[in-house]
Formats: sequence, C-alpha cells, structure tokens
Amino acid sequence: MWFEQIVFWALAAVAIGGALGVVLVRDLFRAALLLATVFVAVGGFYVMMNAEFLAVVQILIYVGAIAVLFIFGIMLTRDVQRGNAPNRLQIPAGVISALLLAAMVFTAVTTDWTTLAGAGRENQAQIAQTQAVGIPDATELTRAGLSAEEVESVAGSGLADLLIGDFVLPFEAVSLLLLAAAIGGLALARGRGR
Amino acid sequence: MTAYDLYLVSPLLALAGLAMMVIIVDLLTRRTGLLVGVAFVGLAAPAALSAWQLAELVSTGESRLSAQGSVVLHTLSIDRFSLFFNFLILAAAGLVILVSTDYSRRMERLQGEFFGLLLLSATGMMLLVSATELITMYIALELTTLPLAAMAAFLPNGRSSEAGMKFLIIGALSSALMLYGMALIYGFTGSTRLDEIAAALSAGASAGAFPFGSMAVLLAIVLLLAGFGFKMSAAPFQMWVPDVYEGAPTPMVAFLSVASKAAAFALVLRVFYVGFDALGGDWWVLLAGLAALSMTIGNLVAIAQRNIKRLFGYSTIAHAGYILVGVAAVASVDGTATFGPSSVLFYLAAYTAANLTAFFAIVCIGNRINSDEIADYSGMLRRAPFLAIALGLALIALIGVPPTGLFFAKIYVFAAAINTGESLMTWLVIIGVVNSAVSAYYYLRIIKVMFLQTPIHTERVGASWPVNVALGIATLAILWLGVAPTPLLGAAERAVSVLSGG
Amino acid sequence: MSLEAMLVVAAVLFCIGLYGALARRNFIAVLMSIELMFNGVNLTLVAMGRWLAPYTVQEQLSAVLTGQVFAVFVITVAAAEIALGLGIVFALYRTNESVDLTDAATLRH
Repeated sequence: MWFEQIVFWALAAVAIGGALGVVLVRDLFRAALLLATVFVAVGGFYVMMNAEFLAVVQILIYVGAIAVLFIFGIMLTRDVQRGNAPNRLQIPAGVISALLLAAMVFTAVTTDWTTLAGAGRENQAQIAQTQAVGIPDATELTRAGLSAEEVESVAGSGLADLLIGDFVLPFEAVSLLLLAAAIGGLALARGRGR
Repeated sequence: MTAYDLYLVSPLLALAGLAMMVIIVDLLTRRTGLLVGVAFVGLAAPAALSAWQLAELVSTGESRLSAQGSVVLHTLSIDRFSLFFNFLILAAAGLVILVSTDYSRRMERLQGEFFGLLLLSATGMMLLVSATELITMYIALELTTLPLAAMAAFLPNGRSSEAGMKFLIIGALSSALMLYGMALIYGFTGSTRLDEIAAALSAGASAGAFPFGSMAVLLAIVLLLAGFGFKMSAAPFQMWVPDVYEGAPTPMVAFLSVASKAAAFALVLRVFYVGFDALGGDWWVLLAGLAALSMTIGNLVAIAQRNIKRLFGYSTIAHAGYILVGVAAVASVDGTATFGPSSVLFYLAAYTAANLTAFFAIVCIGNRINSDEIADYSGMLRRAPFLAIALGLALIALIGVPPTGLFFAKIYVFAAAINTGESLMTWLVIIGVVNSAVSAYYYLRIIKVMFLQTPIHTERVGASWPVNVALGIATLAILWLGVAPTPLLGAAERAVSVLSGG
Repeated sequence: MSLEAMLVVAAVLFCIGLYGALARRNFIAVLMSIELMFNGVNLTLVAMGRWLAPYTVQEQLSAVLTGQVFAVFVITVAAAEIALGLGIVFALYRTNESVDLTDAATLRH
C-alpha cells in the first residue's frame, strides 16, 4: 500500500517537525500553534489505526480545549517577550533524551512482540492466519474459527461497553479527578483575598 | 454493577462523599472548627466500612473478597493488604485534619477546599492500594497527586505557588515515564491486569537473552521504577522533594510524607510481587541500587540543612531508602517471600507515627514563631515543653533507637535483607547501618538546639486542643509500637500473604 | 505502516517532549512538552492495541480495545492536569510576575 506509506510518513514528518518546533522555537505563541499541529497529526495516526473515536476525541479535547487553554495561559501571563528560553540543563537533557530514545527504538525494533502476548493461547495461531491487523472485523474472526457468540462479543465490544463495563471503576474515579482539578484550579485562579 | 460491587467500593464512596460534603459545608459556614469537626468525624464512615470488610474477611477466612459477576473486581482487590493501608491512610488523614485547625487560617478563604482536596487525595490513595490493574493504578495515582499539587500552592506567597508548580510538573513527567512503561507491558502481554500480566510473563519468562527475558520488559521495569521513584521520593528521582517540603503548607507536607509514600510503596509491592513475580525476582537488584542511593544522598545532604522542613525533605528520601531495602528483600533462604514485604508494612506504620509527630510539632512551632529555621528552635524546651519533648521523641525514633517503633522496623527490614542470603543485600544492610549512624548527627543537632541552648524569646508557644490531641495520639503510637510491636507485625504478615497468592 | 514504524515515531515524540520538559525554562513551555510525551504514549498504546491485541484474543475478547480505553483516560487526565496547571500559573504570576522556572528557584539555598 504505497498510498498508506506516503500518508504515514507525511504525518510522521509533520508530527516530528512540529514537536521539534514546540521545544525549540523561542516564541511561545508559535510553539503553542505548532503543538496544535502535532495534535492534528497524531489524530491522523489514530484514523490510520482504525481508532476513529479516539481521533475525534483527540481533535475535540487536545486541539479544541488543551491547545486553546495553552494559548490563553500564554497571552494572560504576557510572558511572550522572554519566550521559550532554554535553561542551563540543555546538554544533560539532550543526552538523557537521546539515550532513552535509543533504548526505546532498540526495544521497538528488536522485540518480537508476539512471543509472550500469545503464549499458550488457543486462538493465537488461527487469528494470526487471518493476518488480522487492527481491530478484527467479523469476517476475519469467523475465518479464524471463533464461534458466532465470540464474534458477536468482539464486534459488540465498543469503547463505551468497556468504559462502563470492565473499566467502570477508573471511569468513575476520573470524575473525582476532574472534580479535584476543577476545585484546585478555580481556588488558585480566583485568588485568596477578599 | 451489582450491589456487591457497591459494597466493595463503599469505603471509597464514603470518603469521596465526605470530601464533597466538606466543600458544601464550607459554602454555608466560615467556621474552621465546624469544618474540622465534619471532616474528622466523617472519616468514621469509611473507617467503619473498611472494618466491616475486614470483619467479613476474618469470619470467612478468605484472603480477598470475591463474588460472581462482579465488575469492579476486574480492576481492584479488597484484601487484607489493601485494608491495612486503608486504615493507615485514614488514620494519617484524620490526624492531619486535626492538626490543620490552627494552620488552615493561613490559607484565608481556601480552608474548605484544603480539607476537601485532602480527602479526595486520600480517596485516590485508598483506590491505589487496592488497584490490581494498570489503568486504575494510573488514575488512582493522579487522583492522589493532583489534589496535593493544588494544596501545595494554597499559601498566599510565591514559594508556595512554586512548590505547587514543581510538584505538578514532576508528577506529570513521572506519570509520562510510567505510562510508557505501562504501554510496553500492555503491548508485550496483551493485558493491563496484574494477574494476566503475570500469567503471560510466566508463559514465556525464560525466553531471550536480556534480563527479564526481553528488552521490552527490561525497559518497562526501568521506566515504571522511574515513575514510582518520584512518588516514593527515592533517589535519583528526589530533586523535587526539598523544594516542595519547604514551600508547601506544612500539614499537607505531613500528609504527603507519610500517606502518599505509603500508597506508593503499596503500589510497588503489588506491581512487583504480583505482576512481575514470574520474572524470578531479578528486579530486586534495581531496587537495591535505588535503596543504597536514596539512603546515602538523603542522609549526606540533610547534614547541611538549616531549614527544618528542608531537612525533613532529605530525611524522607533517606527513609525511602531504608524501606526499599525491605522491598528488595524478595527471596528468603527458606523460600517464603513474606518477610521483606511485611517488614515494609511495619516500617511504613512506624514511620507514619514518627514523622507525623515530628511534623505536627513543626506545624505548631512554625505557626507561632513564624519560622522554620532550626536556629529559631533554640531553647524550645522552656518555651513549649510538650512540643519539644514530642519532637525530641520523634527525632529519636527516626534515628531508630529503642523504645520506639522505628527501632523494631529497622531491625525487621535489615533482618529480612540478611535473610535473603545474598551477599549484595548484606552490603546493603551495612550501608543502611552506617547511614543510620550518620543520620543520628543531624537529628541530635536539632535536639541539642531545642534542649540545651537558651531561648531567644521567652514567649510561650502553645496550640489549641485538637492539635494537642493529634500530637498526643501520634506520640503514643510511637511508644506503643516500640513497646508492643507484635500485634501490628502480625497484621502486616497476614496482609502480605495476599501478595504471594495465599 | 507497521508496528515498528509507529512505535519509533511515538518514541521520537516522547523523547522530544522529555527534552523540552527538562531543558525549557518557561512553565507553560514545560507543560506543552509534557503533552508531547503523553501523545507519544497514546500513539504507543493505540498501536499496541491495533497490532498485538488480536494475538491475545481468547477468553477476554475485549482486550482488543484496552489500549484505546487507556488512551482515552490519558487524554482526560492530561486535560485535568492542564486546567490545574494554569490555575497554578495564574497564582504564581500574581505573586512573582513571571512564570519562569529559573526565577522560581528562589527556593534553593
């Protein structure tokens, strides 16, 4: 799929270039705009990986809310003139990041990601035969030898089912977290006096 | 979601409900005393519900609560281990709330928010100690950290805001590192549940040339340790500790130094002893390294400190090192893996008593003399005998001298380390003993300033009765653990039996 | 497009963010860098779910989507963190007239 390849590498170029801009550009306002670009590119990756819902969330929350909050913060603190200056830790920070990047890339390339994940699991070989990349669809799963019941449970297991099913506890806990952030943020931004 | 699910999470619900009630009460009244009363008395509800769950465990003899068709049991486990920490966290929260009575006036209009966020943070800790699934752990960690970051910035001065800012940034940074580790684990094992991770790892644990069988698991463990290291305030991830300890409101620092630390260690114990158990426990070498580094850095830098809150920042790093010795004591010669973890639990309880006492005294003294410099503590014995004696006792406990709980705690931790039969662990114990001797120097210096020097002022320093009650309880806890450690040690041993699948 | 390529891109984003978080002075710039790290993590999580989870499909078929669920939670927490972070920024700006981390180092002795 040469077309997919081109889109992927184009998005990668935008994301990485934008990310470098965020940390290197001196003008904070431009850095925030570049950050929004990175967010859009990451949303593009989500679409390519069949995670459409996440792509929508990415655009709505990251681009629509978080990037805008950053721009608000930058404009309200009027610190644009001094901008995005580096501190004295540039060289150690660069070394640490480069070392971690090397370790991560080495891990990503050398690890055989399928050894443990499927070890001892019955359906592994069958599903591997279908070459099922991505969230498998019903035909792939049927071909892989799953029963109609199992196929239905995969096809029907949307994000929403998981969020209020298996992961209902973190889902509820995150509401407390948002409450705490709202209380804390409001209390601090409102000021203490009067 | 069944009714039984609600019963399982009822202590959490009660605590979160109490947090919201406190905030509402704050809207209706401005009386600090009433706020403290509601918050303190309300803690009885989660405590009673936890006690009820414990009673059920005792009566059925099961190691953990379980039920058919329960949804929340996918993500958490209510067992003796989590209940042990529930009580520890609730006790710390209650005492800190009492002590904040005088101090919270400094926060002007933010008192209700202060108590509300403290309780929300405690909710996060209680979720954290029972979580058995990575997503839940992450959310619980953030629920623990974010309210504390907000509270750190509550004082109306620049230093406090800076403390909050540093705490937030470092917390987010460490979360990001930890998250990448979690993503690797999920990718490698296909699950975020600790039991399934353990099963998947044991199915292919011996494969591969790298430590832990795979570069992915090795990197994941290192990144997870980096993330947890920040929360445990262990070196080399400790840079934020002294600054936050100095700038943030003292009662919040007291809570952070004991409850947040205890929850972080509970998390580490669960992740490593349950999730990575199948890896043969090779990870203890990494933990031992962190332990040696934390003890040494914490104690050496503490010597030069002039500000008492900063000094306690370094002291807490050193104690994270001692506790890590117990965490690293994973395998013992007779094959039982409960000695190390149970010594950790006992150490955390004893440390909670000692450190809370010390911080409570610092809260009272600092509130009156408006200074946290050690030099200003001169002659405190004559200005505030009760506070000075309590602080002195806490300092003696922190050195690890009998008859205090931390004396036994240190003995247990070091004994667990020697019991592993590894020569590396023996060296770690030697480092620990030397460090304890070093720490005596700076702890005793404070006692000398308080007891032997002449006071600058003669004005008496006192506190209101709730503060004195809290201080009295914490002081008695130090002595009680020093005189009769057996009941708590028994509870700790029963609690950690859950980790090894008992 | 392969798993390895996606993981490498995510790792690059993550490490650029780490560099920014360690080397920048402005508090808001540091927060932006940390957002880059979170995006790197999210890409990793979704990629893991897409390519690997099918291999684990057995009794718990929902494992397929766990990576995406995780990413949703990370996004939510990131939003909460930013909201609180800006609250602290304003509190700090009111007292210090600056949001520089170096200026904030008055705490050091």
